[in-house]
Amino acid sequence: MSTDLPPNPLSVEGSPESNAPIRPSRRALVVGALAAAAAAVGAGVAWWHPRRTASQDGAAVLAMVLPDPDGNEQPLAQWRGKVLVVNFWATWCAPCREEMPQFVAAQARDGSKGVQFVGIAVDDVDKVRVFAREIGLNYPTLIGGYGAIELSRTLGNDLAALPFTIVLDRQGRVVHTQLGPLKAAKLDGLLAELTAAA
Amino acid sequence: MRVTLTGSSPRRLPERLRYGALALAFAGAHVLAQAFAPPEPKLLPPEQAFRLSARALDPSTIEARFDVADGYYLYRDKLRFSVTPGGAAPATLPPGKPKHDEFFGDVEIYRGVVAVRLPLASAAPGRVLTLSADSQGCADAGVCYPPTREQVQLTLPERAGKPGPFVEPARKAWFK
Repeated sequence: MSTDLPPNPLSVEGSPESNAPIRPSRRALVVGALAAAAAAVGAGVAWWHPRRTASQDGAAVLAMVLPDPDGNEQPLAQWRGKVLVVNFWATWCAPCREEMPQFVAAQARDGSKGVQFVGIAVDDVDKVRVFAREIGLNYPTLIGGYGAIELSRTLGNDLAALPFTIVLDRQGRVVHTQLGPLKAAKLDGLLAELTAAA
Repeated sequence: MRVTLTGSSPRRLPERLRYGALALAFAGAHVLAQAFAPPEPKLLPPEQAFRLSARALDPSTIEARFDVADGYYLYRDKLRFSVTPGGAAPATLPPGKPKHDEFFGDVEIYRGVVAVRLPLASAAPGRVLTLSADSQGCADAGVCYPPTREQVQLTLPERAGKPGPFVEPARKAWFK
């Protein structure tokens, strides 16, 4: 082992040349406290990490521009200032189709409070139209094609699977990302919290 | 709270011991973090959920198979194989398990192992072939993976006899 270790950056005991060295028991306490602090940080990181995305501010989400089913380019930035729920989905994804009626209901209920759902379909426009009609889709869905899967990967969808949903607050910050269905209770709680915030 | 890390209490911990104590603290933090972390369903990347392999059975037949991990399934009608050069007769896919889909109607799915024999258009002893497999599947946990195409390179044997070894798709090293 080398003897030229750098000074311990996490040292909490002040100058090592101090004339009043810390007694061993206190040292043990300090190390213990450090361990507890590290544990708290570690647990916090573990709790927070699964919801983290590549960019905590939603700039990358709001920077997306995709065509609607009629072929008109739609920048997501037009919904800046809304509580924005961006849902990557496809007709070939049964769990996606199953959760979308609750998005339709939430859009109808909370749209007037500034909530905006936007779908991004990893799919062909024809199938999207049929399905949108079938469930009475009341929010825009843009056509991403299969390339949208790669787009979602850059936004934190590491497994490139669907459904994948990103929730932005009015300030454009990513407050939640979800791979797999967003449970109704979780969605409703998020929307209540975010629409209450100024 | 009083915590002692070691039985002995030297007046001043040697440098190495201090680093050891720190390492211990972080190890403890990691264990605690694991214990307190919310249970997240651990999903497999698609190439592990649906593991493709193939082998040459003889100079005119290859066998493709998917090992589908527990809790995952493949759609039968999304499974397609092709062989270049030369081509192969359309694969006869084994029957799957019926599953009702509200949008697509009745479909069939595969769980576990699905093996498919592909008779080549012509025998080609010693030839190197590329098998392409298209597939699409989902996890019971509630996610689906997009349709993917994977390829396996196989060398046909010179003569009939023992089947060749199973070969998996070559993957980029950083995916391993």
